[in-house]
Amino acid sequence: MFKSKIFMVLLMFVLLVSVAGCTKDESSSGKASKSGDSKEPVTFSYYNAASPGKDMNTNETVIGKELEKQTGVNFKVEYAVGDINTKIGTMIASGKYPDLLVPDAALPKVLDAGAFIELNDLIDKHAPNIKKLYGPYLNRMKDKDGKIFFIPMEASQGFIANPNIDQGAFWVQRAVLKEAGYPKIKTLDEYFKLIEDYQKKHPEVEGKSTIGFTALTYDWRFFALSNTPNHLAGYPNDGGVQVDMKTHEAKVYGNNDDTKRYLKELNELNSKGLFDKEAFVGNYDEYLAKLTSGRVLGFFDYGWQIGQAEDNLKNAGVDDKRYMALPITFDENTKDQYLDPPSFVSNRGVGITVSAKDPVRIIKYLDNMVKEENQKLILWGIKGETYEVNDEGRFHRTEEQIAKTSDEKFREDFGSKIYEWGWPRGNGLYADGNAWEPRRQAEVAQMSYTDGDKKLLEAYGVQVFSDLFAKPEDRPWYPAWSVQLEEGSKEQIFSQRQTDLQKKYYPKLVLAKPSEFESIWTEYKKEYNALDVKVYEETMTKEIKKLIDLAK
Amino acid sequence: MQMESRVTEEGIDTSILVQPKKSKEIFIKKMMTQKALIAMSFPFLIWLFIFKYIPLWGWSIAFQDFKPAKSLLDQEWIGLEHFKFLFTDPNFYRVLRNTLGMSTINLVLGFVTAIGLALLLNEIRHAKFKKLVQTISYMPHFISWVVAASIISYSLSLDNGIVNIVLLKLGIVDEPILWLGKETWFWGINGVSDIWKNVGWNTIIYLAAITMIDPEQYEAADIDGATRLQRIRYITLPSLKPTIIILMIMNLGYILESGFEAQYLLGNPLNLAYSENLDIYVLKYGISLGNFSLATAAGIFKTVVSFIFLFTANHIAKRFDQPRLF
Amino acid sequence: MGKKRLFKATRYHSGPGDYIFDVFNYTFMVFLCVVMLYPFLNQMAVSLNDANDSIKGGIFLWPREFTWANYQHVFGEASIIQSFVISVLRTLIGTLTSVLGTAMVAYTISRKDFVFKKFVTIAFVLTMYFNGGLIPNYLLIKELNLLDSFWVYILPGIIGVFNLIVIRSFIEGIPESLFESAKIDGAGDFTIFIKIVLPLSMPVLATVSLFVAVYQWNSWFDVFLYNSSVPELSTLQYELMKILQNSNASMSGKTAADAFASSNSSANSVTPTSIRATMTIIASLPIIMVYPFLQKYFVKGLTLGGVKG
Repeated sequence: MFKSKIFMVLLMFVLLVSVAGCTKDESSSGKASKSGDSKEPVTFSYYNAASPGKDMNTNETVIGKELEKQTGVNFKVEYAVGDINTKIGTMIASGKYPDLLVPDAALPKVLDAGAFIELNDLIDKHAPNIKKLYGPYLNRMKDKDGKIFFIPMEASQGFIANPNIDQGAFWVQRAVLKEAGYPKIKTLDEYFKLIEDYQKKHPEVEGKSTIGFTALTYDWRFFALSNTPNHLAGYPNDGGVQVDMKTHEAKVYGNNDDTKRYLKELNELNSKGLFDKEAFVGNYDEYLAKLTSGRVLGFFDYGWQIGQAEDNLKNAGVDDKRYMALPITFDENTKDQYLDPPSFVSNRGVGITVSAKDPVRIIKYLDNMVKEENQKLILWGIKGETYEVNDEGRFHRTEEQIAKTSDEKFREDFGSKIYEWGWPRGNGLYADGNAWEPRRQAEVAQMSYTDGDKKLLEAYGVQVFSDLFAKPEDRPWYPAWSVQLEEGSKEQIFSQRQTDLQKKYYPKLVLAKPSEFESIWTEYKKEYNALDVKVYEETMTKEIKKLIDLAK
Repeated sequence: MQMESRVTEEGIDTSILVQPKKSKEIFIKKMMTQKALIAMSFPFLIWLFIFKYIPLWGWSIAFQDFKPAKSLLDQEWIGLEHFKFLFTDPNFYRVLRNTLGMSTINLVLGFVTAIGLALLLNEIRHAKFKKLVQTISYMPHFISWVVAASIISYSLSLDNGIVNIVLLKLGIVDEPILWLGKETWFWGINGVSDIWKNVGWNTIIYLAAITMIDPEQYEAADIDGATRLQRIRYITLPSLKPTIIILMIMNLGYILESGFEAQYLLGNPLNLAYSENLDIYVLKYGISLGNFSLATAAGIFKTVVSFIFLFTANHIAKRFDQPRLF
Repeated sequence: MGKKRLFKATRYHSGPGDYIFDVFNYTFMVFLCVVMLYPFLNQMAVSLNDANDSIKGGIFLWPREFTWANYQHVFGEASIIQSFVISVLRTLIGTLTSVLGTAMVAYTISRKDFVFKKFVTIAFVLTMYFNGGLIPNYLLIKELNLLDSFWVYILPGIIGVFNLIVIRSFIEGIPESLFESAKIDGAGDFTIFIKIVLPLSMPVLATVSLFVAVYQWNSWFDVFLYNSSVPELSTLQYELMKILQNSNASMSGKTAADAFASSNSSANSVTPTSIRATMTIIASLPIIMVYPFLQKYFVKGLTLGGVKG
């Protein structure tokens, strides 16, 4: 049997080769002294479950090289690829952690497991800059025993709105505004009227029917539909609740008149043939394709979900087909609250794990990077290379610099991708009045405006797009969606059941004959009220009041 | 039959059942002659025990309020709480219905199409063309469901979908159909999608089984003037029977595995009532809420159902004197 | 002799019924090829089309704005070549060991007189329908010291139960007389396995090799779970998954919290759709080529005809 011998020999050969080829990884935790003052080179491990990225060493980047020069510390960075609960679950089960960990949504599990070391002392002794930057929020970082186990991602310093709308808004095609002579639109009725008029005159776009209004409903993105009534009623994106400004009671709105009113409006829109027939069927890609086709006149969405479509239209140079964000409310005298108030997300963050051999050097590294000059290095880059400073000390970027800094490869090599998110940082304004991050600096936003943008802004008499929106009121608890519900608790199951119920009924309500709307609504409300609404509202109210107290 | 059995030279003896005492000796004696067989299978039994049976301790968390942070001994035992959550939730029965519905459709369609395609491929006589078709037909298996679902969704869309365009052109419908918006059609759409993606892949095993058929049988049939359909009917199909039955028994054990990605990706608010299956339910109420216990409880339930189907199917095969799994 | 048989079979048409059958069959096959080839050609077109332009949809068989940029982006990641080698290695070694091991056990449970036949069969078959769960499996791998090692790709999958049953059924189809005459010649079970069973089972071994190879090639979850911190052991599929997720920042989570995080990253020059298409082509072309290669073992009559003739 000649063949089988070859088979065996081949097998042996391959086995040998592979043994030789497989080596164990030995580097990870620091082997340096525990002094903490040393600048001796050391490599720690860092795992980020919050955002995807390319695994690399921080000292392979420009920013990381500089920070290594200052501290001697390098991080071996790894990003999550699959389900983070799974990955973090295996870390907990085996007790084998990276030195520095960003567990994202799995944070409660990590805390439960006691995987993070207490930071109070470390911050006190070694981290004056963190203490300063996070000063206003230190109380909110403490657990019920006054201990700090992780540093939340971002500490806002003063308020500055993003000049471009990346959060919720009603969007309308610019051609619609142009034809109507750039009217000031405030209420939902005006908005729908505008769309209706335009659609009557232009029933077809390039041979296909014009879609008056669409909605994004695919998979988890369904929240873009279920959140809308809250914005129309003059609330910011507080997740599933409306929080009363005086009593601070949290109430669900999935069953209230705001939701009913919005769905009824959509129902009418549908009966007039203005609502997208495929709104409840299409997936995300199809949604984006629809937006780029020029057929859609209006929709509600969060800016960050339509970036790809906007980029496409902008690159194609078809300014009329692009969209403009409007702060629409139900009533004339409701103050819109679309822009995020200064917020502190306290259920996400970065922590040092029990596996870390030298926590002092790690906290010193983190402290060093929140120094203002290093924050500017991380977010703005290097003066003369990635940004300029004018005579008044205002930071700005040239067109070339904007192009350069938005190139993926550059961002990766420079280190922006690693450092922009997932480490302690600030936001808002620096002491010198410049925006913490370039995209919020009006000069930078304006530099990339097209002629069409400028014309539009001029017609509405504003400098940047967010000027059309009202200033956010002070909401110390914001955002309420960052309230951490206990895993597997009644509150959490309520949230899931609520979504299920809304997914079942909202399409029915919108697509029903107008005469049937009331009866379906009654049916929906009955099922809704059978859920654990009370438990959920009580927990939310309690947590929100706690946050308000901490902020005092 | 048992009465007539004799100890043969090879030691085959079915009288074990009748004469327990003597049989023990024979058993040991037989075992001694089968050292090679034991040496060939037992190391793998140890492997099996370590890799498949030891992790079964994990099932205990279905009876606990499991928190990954605590050690196994510190967990809080809550009995059948998680099973109660499942069995008292009306949604559970809905997703169970959908799971059974879809997996039955997939099972039947899957078998019929794979066997059918294998038979047709076997009738192609241009070797190169046959190879080409074989290779092309299994290619969709390598497309991820994300890609497949987006192609399916696009093909079924109102304005651009090829399906609606063709139906309109042929005058079969007057206006385009919102395929994925019709909840009761979802099982069918899911079944066809599954076939499209996997029929070529599923055919491979039958094509391998066909190679077992003695060519002399076909030659004899040719001489007798059998038609092609007769050859299929009387030679190819009967030869495939053992393979079909064994695969059928194994697949019946997977009756609660109706797939996950297709339903998740093609599901939407309009067809949710029929597209959501057990796995999606477990994802929503178990895994994504960090409730591993519930997910494990659902897993145990699935295993129990699998075993019932498996043993019943095997037993039926035995009753009808057909090839069986064990 | 073989040639003669082939000739006879190809020539034969017994009447108009057969002719109609052929016309139908060939037409159907052509139609089938069109339907089955489409997704691939479509992904090829998307992968060669400008990412930003693809958002508009409507790419079918031909790119609208041709570019290599998607491939440049994917191949720009230095680790692709290294991970390709690991993928090939795990596919080769994993397939060889699994097919050999599975065939060996399959042979033992195909022997009707094997005293542990039923016990071994059931012990294996049952494992098809349960799973201890992710965490217990992870801890097992950790206790066995298989974390961060190449062998974690090979050992857990050394026997595929489905394949085991498939091979067993095949071996049971080999005429008993062959085994008997070998035994009379003094051959033991191991010799019979090596000298008779393996060569005679080539069609089914080829089939099972394909199953295992495809499984090994496509796996990325075990890399994610067990070896993610060792770049030297990363596989092609895992690297591609990473690139895909990287292009997909806004899909990283399911809550508004992630929306917050992702609003902080800038627009991507590549899109998930384009990267996925590029991945599909890069990752599946090598493995698809395996089937045509194995098809030579699917020749009818190779086994029994060979023995008897």
